Amino acid sequence: MAGNMRQYAFFLGCIAPNRYPGCEAAAIKTSAKLGIELLPLKGAGCCPAPGAFGAIDLKVWYALAARNIVLAEEMKMDITLICNGCYKSIWEVNHILKHNDELRDGVNEVLAEVDMEFKGSIDVWHLIELYYDKKVCGVEKVRDSVVRPLTGTKIAAHYGCHLLKPKKERHFGDTDNPMWFEALIEALGAESVQYRNKMQCCGAGGGVRGYDLTHSLDITNEKLINLEEVGADALTEVCPFCQLQYDRGQVEIEEKFGKKYGLPVLHYNELLGLAQGMTPQELALDLHAIDCTPFLEKIR
Amino acid sequence: MVETKNEPRIGVFLCHCGTNIAGSINIEEVKNYAKTLDGVVIADEYQYMCSTPGQSKIIDAINENNLNGVVVAACSPRLHEPTFRMATQEGGLNQFRFEMANIRDQNSWVHMHDLEGATEKAKDQVLIAVAKARMLEDLQPKSVPVEHAALVLGAGVGGMQAALDLANAGIKTYLVEKLPTIGGRMSQLDKTFPTLDCSQCILTPKMVDVGRHPLIELRTYTEVEKVEGYIGNFTITLRHKARGVLDPDQAAARAAATGILGTGCNGCGDCDAVCPVIKPNPFEMGMAPRKAIYIYHAQVMPLQYTIDFDACVKCGLCVDACGSEKNAIDLEAVDTFEEIKVGTCILAIGFDLIPIEEKREWGYKQYDNVITGLEFERLICASGPTVGHLIRPSDGKTPMKIGFVLCAGSRDNTGGVNKAYCSRFCCMYSLKHAHQIMEKIPGAVPYLFYMDIRSFGKMYEEFYYRIQNEGAKFIRGRVANILEDPITKNLIVNTEDTLLGRPVAMEMDMVVLAAAVQPKPEAEHIRQMFGVSKSQDGWLLEAHPKLNPCGTTTAGIYLAGVCQGPKDIPDTVAQAEGAASAASIPIHMGEVQLEPYFAMCMEDLCAGCGMCLNQCPYGALDLIEKNGRTVMEVTEAKCKGCGTCGGFCPGGAIKMQHFTSPQICAQIDAFLLKGGVN
Repeated sequence: MAGNMRQYAFFLGCIAPNRYPGCEAAAIKTSAKLGIELLPLKGAGCCPAPGAFGAIDLKVWYALAARNIVLAEEMKMDITLICNGCYKSIWEVNHILKHNDELRDGVNEVLAEVDMEFKGSIDVWHLIELYYDKKVCGVEKVRDSVVRPLTGTKIAAHYGCHLLKPKKERHFGDTDNPMWFEALIEALGAESVQYRNKMQCCGAGGGVRGYDLTHSLDITNEKLINLEEVGADALTEVCPFCQLQYDRGQVEIEEKFGKKYGLPVLHYNELLGLAQGMTPQELALDLHAIDCTPFLEKIR
Repeated sequence: MVETKNEPRIGVFLCHCGTNIAGSINIEEVKNYAKTLDGVVIADEYQYMCSTPGQSKIIDAINENNLNGVVVAACSPRLHEPTFRMATQEGGLNQFRFEMANIRDQNSWVHMHDLEGATEKAKDQVLIAVAKARMLEDLQPKSVPVEHAALVLGAGVGGMQAALDLANAGIKTYLVEKLPTIGGRMSQLDKTFPTLDCSQCILTPKMVDVGRHPLIELRTYTEVEKVEGYIGNFTITLRHKARGVLDPDQAAARAAATGILGTGCNGCGDCDAVCPVIKPNPFEMGMAPRKAIYIYHAQVMPLQYTIDFDACVKCGLCVDACGSEKNAIDLEAVDTFEEIKVGTCILAIGFDLIPIEEKREWGYKQYDNVITGLEFERLICASGPTVGHLIRPSDGKTPMKIGFVLCAGSRDNTGGVNKAYCSRFCCMYSLKHAHQIMEKIPGAVPYLFYMDIRSFGKMYEEFYYRIQNEGAKFIRGRVANILEDPITKNLIVNTEDTLLGRPVAMEMDMVVLAAAVQPKPEAEHIRQMFGVSKSQDGWLLEAHPKLNPCGTTTAGIYLAGVCQGPKDIPDTVAQAEGAASAASIPIHMGEVQLEPYFAMCMEDLCAGCGMCLNQCPYGALDLIEKNGRTVMEVTEAKCKGCGTCGGFCPGGAIKMQHFTSPQICAQIDAFLLKGGVN
């Protein structure tokens, strides 16, 4: 088995290990069943958060992200990660530094102080794109790994902005109505539901949550209304920050707007974990702010 | 004719072109320089050399100075070479004793802010031109007879008009159409702006005229396979696609040839009724079914069924239904070929819509209720799939709020499927659509999302006022995206109302995209067969955008309609009449003069190796026996003077007239050695 495994340096990020440890556990365990071995990226720091750092000082953003990339370069492995924010920082900085010699020299001057050098020798992948990529895994392999199909559930997909946009600096093609995430959801036996304004932001990113919580929750609320309209049993995403916004955000929305949804929000790896037979305890679903029990009962 | 001695006597004439040239080139300095050049006996200048006084200067100088070569440094030879050649001839010289230096397009216009540099470059250009002028020879243009027939490719409204004009002028005209019927895009339209005429009603009389005209040879379901020849003498090979159904003439021919009897297709439709194969109907934009044996629409010309052999399963039910009396169907039909000879050709090959589904943000082909303008035409048309009832494809309900997205892919320079140009008829047809829904559906409101309303034609702006007064709503803003309500299938149109300066989201029952137009995919192949260029935007290139909008740079080939650039029906018909007029001129003249830039075999040098024969792209060269030797011979009428053979000939035995090796070498030497070699 181990011989056939593709190895990747796993960049954890901050929200997954701290708020939703189930995401981290699920990523490692579910990937193993798909021929992808995730090895810890030792010494990794903050990605750093694209909105917070990028908006204030791009040089700091480049340098800190480059440091994480160099750690993986030293392991001679591509990086994979499970958060769109991390993806924005690490994928984009890797891409920019590979194509801009001037910036790369500037970053390397900073990195020289800690005896590091950005070489541009590795690539960065979101774990979900590895799952969808036939050369690495593919939808069929995901489907084959399912032991407990999520039959009878209606699950809505949230792609998240930083994964797909800006379109010109990404490689995902259609960003207006993509359907590949839905294909991965249906591979688990669930029904993927389309809803109004699918590509809308979660409301958290770009520092909006930190700057103006009410406005941020307003956006989230609109999404929840659209999801309620089509009777989704759960929402899935590939970004712990989006997850935080939809999950804890529902508590805040209830406090602020007095509206209660009770919509379980699960990272795709958590869903995949359930479908591959992991228990809710293994996935630490009890740490979610919104009770996942109604959803779990549906798949029992 | 003035005696031309061996010693060169050149006159150089510099044109100011107002300030076009004189504004960035020191004419006086170039003139004084020209006077110093070997063989130049006079150098002169004038404000506009192309004017009558300018030409007189050339004519007088030839006579007064006994010139044997003329150089004009002015604009492009494409503009005025004929003018100055005629002046040279009027002065008593052979017209090919003339050479032009383009110091405007290739100099003053590109070096507008560099007087010194441009002046030096102009000197070089004059030097090079004089070097060639010293070696020019008398040449005689060749006259060739012109076939008294024309080809019109494409039988839309433009092609039909051109064919009718040519035929009415007494010219036998082959009208070739790829589809089984003539009529083109216009027959798909319901009404036409701004008069609101029924499109079919005004088109069908023309179709009937075309069908009946004794001088129009209609070739439907036919494509051009090969084009050979040149102005006056084109040989065109046509491919008649296997139709599988014989018309009465073909049936009679069959009876005569094989004894198989049958009166041929009378359009009764018995075959259609029994055919078990169902396909989407392209005439109805795929919104209605069609059988494998079909007529394109109800008003086809000619009325003759066609078998779609890609779909046909050859069950033979249609053959039985047709019966032995008509016996019109031949399931084993194959493509046949026909060679025609024509003097001139008109291309009227039309357009397609862009693949608007690639603008994913607008959801065409993702959302049921987003349609294109052409689909709207079919849905609102009484002969369309819904008998003229506009319905939502998702649920068959009547839409009450209908959004129209104008400039859908037009006037957008962001690349992809988008087109930087204006498609020129979408504003007007969208206004017409708005009128039609308000007329047909009481209470329905059209919302037009626009950048500008371009209502530029006769009675167009008045039509715009009329639609405003009828109650259509206009929102100035480009549509960012369209989202579908997954339950009601209504559409939320997000845009910025730039007059209010704020984003708006409006819920519509249906959205119609006024998709941009683009050249047909086959236009590229057709263009290459006929030797026609294309402009940057992909449309076929006219000879001059203002002064020769129907001609092309290939003599004898003319353009009509949208294939040359987006235009509405009146403009298409106008251009078609222009093209027909232009195409009839050489035919009525009876002969055309060809430039004498042929390759010429110097037989005493030719070794008869024949290697040049394979090089010639036009098949103009042959090997012949002459005085006991094998030598190459040029068929002058076929030779385009490209020079491939001349450059290739290992023995240097091929002379390219007017572009001889000594002439070209003299030009290169003049530039590199600044005339030092002489």
